[in-house]
Amino acid sequence: ENISDFSLNITDCTQVVVPEEVFFTVAAVGILENLLVLIAVVRNKNLHLPMYFFICSLAISDMLGSLYKTLENIFIILCKMGYLTRRGDFEKKLDDAMDSMFILSLLGSIFSLLAIAADRYITIFYALRYHNIMTLRRALVILAIIWTFCTGSSIAIALFSYEAATVIPFTILFPLMMFFILCLYVHMFLLARSHAKKIASLATSTVHQRTNMKGAITLTIFLGVFLCCWAPFVLHILLARFCPHNPYCACYMSIFHVNGTLIMCNAIIDPMIFAFRSPELRSTFKKMFCCAR
Amino acid sequence: MSALRLISNRTSQQALSNSDYTWEYEYYEYGPVSFEGLKAHKYSIVIGFWVGLAVFVIFMFFVLTLLTKTGAPHQDNAEPSEKRFRMNSFVTDFGRPLESERVFSHQIAEESQSLFHFCINEVVHLDKAKRSQKGPGLESNIHFQEVPRSSGMFEEGLNCLTKFNIPNFVNTEQNSSLGEDDLLISEPPIILESKSVMQSSHQILD
Repeated sequence: ENISDFSLNITDCTQVVVPEEVFFTVAAVGILENLLVLIAVVRNKNLHLPMYFFICSLAISDMLGSLYKTLENIFIILCKMGYLTRRGDFEKKLDDAMDSMFILSLLGSIFSLLAIAADRYITIFYALRYHNIMTLRRALVILAIIWTFCTGSSIAIALFSYEAATVIPFTILFPLMMFFILCLYVHMFLLARSHAKKIASLATSTVHQRTNMKGAITLTIFLGVFLCCWAPFVLHILLARFCPHNPYCACYMSIFHVNGTLIMCNAIIDPMIFAFRSPELRSTFKKMFCCAR
Repeated sequence: MSALRLISNRTSQQALSNSDYTWEYEYYEYGPVSFEGLKAHKYSIVIGFWVGLAVFVIFMFFVLTLLTKTGAPHQDNAEPSEKRFRMNSFVTDFGRPLESERVFSHQIAEESQSLFHFCINEVVHLDKAKRSQKGPGLESNIHFQEVPRSSGMFEEGLNCLTKFNIPNFVNTEQNSSLGEDDLLISEPPIILESKSVMQSSHQILD
């Protein structure tokens, strides 16, 4: 009954399997971490600022991504154990819902990163008017618009995923957003450089070099992590749409589970590079854990 | 994903009439794929993709490093070692009072230099030394930054933007003399204190 046996070579690319324990551990850590960030921001009144709301939005989208992967794995296990039928309508609808959750997570991550970058941009270039431009209400409105748009698009993409018309904009959106975020940060960097030049006469050069490297390292980590974790999956979608039977493409697609694990690793790393850099948030965590004991 | 299942559903139905191809709940059974006659290595897309991604990230890092280089060569020779020593020692020893024989302008320059150093050193030592010296260190942080706030000398010196913890925090100290493009960015102990200031300024502005 293994119908795919008959024309496969010995050299075919079998699915690279990630052990389920690793999968669940990574997913659980990601969900917990992001949940902690959310709780910390909610509990501490000092953190009710637009910047932290955008970081929360990123945490929510990361949590959705990890949640999706967990549910999908549970789904597969239940199917293997026979509790769910493979072709039932309910299962198909559930599957569609889970797919849209995943795309929602990706879109939410991209737009949250964009919002964070834009917030920082306004912080720097419109510093004195920042509190008038980015009020709390406006931040919430922006987040509502982002999430409504992402939910709508994710449902549309999940329903019409076999159309090229949805796959192509989806894959174009990804590098476009990255490029835009990069431009925002580069502009901020250029301003920082001109400022640093102004005070260059006051300080030793060694100190400068250190802080410049730190800035470049920070930004490279931001964007590099996002790229490395999400780009493999986006490429997978492209290849699945356009060349599913090409052997090279098939070999790339055989590492799909590794790509999924990478996305969950992104959920673990994101709080570390965004949320945990804030001493206020860190002290809130310490208080939470100290009080819990 | 169902997307891929739909694709393989259609294509496999073209190839075989009754294809019950899921004997397991595997998403990615694409039906028969022939691996004969491959010219390049079968994982060439995987390898090429990851190598390309790594090259791109490294390239981006170098571009960013180049962008952020201040590149002012004169500052390497101009600093006398004695001055450097004084600045460093001033930073590390917060309690040391300013010497009275300094001229006022010189004092301002020293203080802004030292504030700058303070910002830089704060970033550098934040993760390492904070835990060990948390008590007195934080208090002196707050005290130290309160002093210039009250005296209001923020022209360019105290630009903590150069500590590129890329702006997590903004000290929107609106009663200090900041230009449009000058920005005071510092750690959130300032935010804690200045929140009341911000609220009061809101009340004034609204």
